[in-house]
Amino acid sequence: MRIKTTSLQHWIVPIAVLAAWEIFGRAGMLPRYLSFPSAILEALWEITLTGELFTALAASLYRVSVGFVLGTAVGIIVGLGAGILPGVRHFFDPLVSFLYSIPKVAFLPVFLLLFGLGHASKIAIIAFSGFFPVFIASRHAVLSVDRLLVWAARNMGTPPRKIFFRVIVPAAAPQLFAGIRIGLAHAFVVLFAAELIGSKAGLGSIISYGEEWVRFDLMFAGIVCFAVLGFVSDRILLAVRARVLKGQMLGTEERVMG
Amino acid sequence: MIAQTRDLIVRWYSIPLLILLWQLAVGSGLVESRLLPGPGRVWDALVSEIGNGVLVYHAGVTLSRALAGFLLAALVGIPFAMAIARSRLVRNLFEPIFFFGYPVPKIALFPVFTYIFGIGTPSKIAFTFLECLYPIVVTCTFGFREVATRLIWSAQNFGAGRATVLRRVIVPAALPSIFAGLRIALPVAIIVVVITEMIGDSIGLGYYITIWSTRFTFANVYAAIILIGICGLVLDQGLLLLRRYAIYWQGA
Repeated sequence: MRIKTTSLQHWIVPIAVLAAWEIFGRAGMLPRYLSFPSAILEALWEITLTGELFTALAASLYRVSVGFVLGTAVGIIVGLGAGILPGVRHFFDPLVSFLYSIPKVAFLPVFLLLFGLGHASKIAIIAFSGFFPVFIASRHAVLSVDRLLVWAARNMGTPPRKIFFRVIVPAAAPQLFAGIRIGLAHAFVVLFAAELIGSKAGLGSIISYGEEWVRFDLMFAGIVCFAVLGFVSDRILLAVRARVLKGQMLGTEERVMG
Repeated sequence: MIAQTRDLIVRWYSIPLLILLWQLAVGSGLVESRLLPGPGRVWDALVSEIGNGVLVYHAGVTLSRALAGFLLAALVGIPFAMAIARSRLVRNLFEPIFFFGYPVPKIALFPVFTYIFGIGTPSKIAFTFLECLYPIVVTCTFGFREVATRLIWSAQNFGAGRATVLRRVIVPAALPSIFAGLRIALPVAIIVVVITEMIGDSIGLGYYITIWSTRFTFANVYAAIILIGICGLVLDQGLLLLRRYAIYWQGA
């Protein structure tokens, strides 16, 4: 019984907000720019039928996935390198500690000029901003691997290659995923900024089209798609993590992730 | 002494090296100097724009917005996190919003904020508040929840009332997590303000970057970027200083 009241209480606030939004919005008591849920659903259906949604979604998804994978891959490789080799670490540490505190979006005008208004500039800036959290996480992860594990493996005559892949990488993996998750969140923020500032394409185009033509239902449809895309990507990442780290997460608090 | 100098060089050589490479690349004409002006010109732009007060003004706008949103989020978020951690009803009502809303890219809501609050300062502060609220509430909730129950019990055993337990046990025990949350939120505040200023405004460092890049004066753009970096570093160090003062028993 207790479980039932708990899950019931979970739904109270979201349902109340949606219901109030719908009722007052439909009655015209809210400002027009707030639209209301059923109109937003209709707008979603409309752009699904015309196919605009898929074109926009495909463009956004392409940019964010390529940029994210690129930034993450480079971040992991350089970060692991920096964790293992002091030379690499000493080269990258000062640069990263300075650049880290700068919002990478500030470089957007430069990237737009270098790579043009198309896909390339968005991919590049998403990769650029995704690199930093992943780099920092993997660098710290390698440095905090229990030395005893490495010594034990070395004592038993394990070749360095095998130590790297069988000891260091698995031990560093949990922290690595934490960095990747932050990188993913950054990727969506940068994607949104780039699509709104740089060029009118992708989901950002639907949002700004809605704004320009006073179609607030369309604007919200774009916002909803963007939010869902971000949320689903995060869930996919968590599912991948749960698979990769099977057994390493026993007894850890997993509630943040729901 | 020599070993120390050597250590310093080994640790920091990459920044001067890159500046040197940058100078060489620009000097030899390999990269277009309009797009990437040499370090000397960026330095000149930084000095002159700070000297005539323009960059100082825009940085002041950006920083005050970021700090206002950040402080509001801390003032609301920390008590709210405590309520979520300590009351079953509050937790059941609000936890899903925070834990499911956390991975949602809230930046997409910014257009709506500009309709509600206008394009000026209020919408930036309100949006920064929202973006900072999430990391603060989520991180602090864990901190408040993980306060060891035996600490609370032993305080109650000594006859401490609710207010005393809260002030002398729960809040100090959660302070490390509170500062962890604040440290995640502070750069978020700066990022969000700069982005929203780039999307649409007529003051602030984000606007400054956009306007000078459309005028192809990239020396000023890089000067502003460097200034943002310095501001971020200073704020982070300030927060660490505050942390050391507040959590004196934990050392560095």
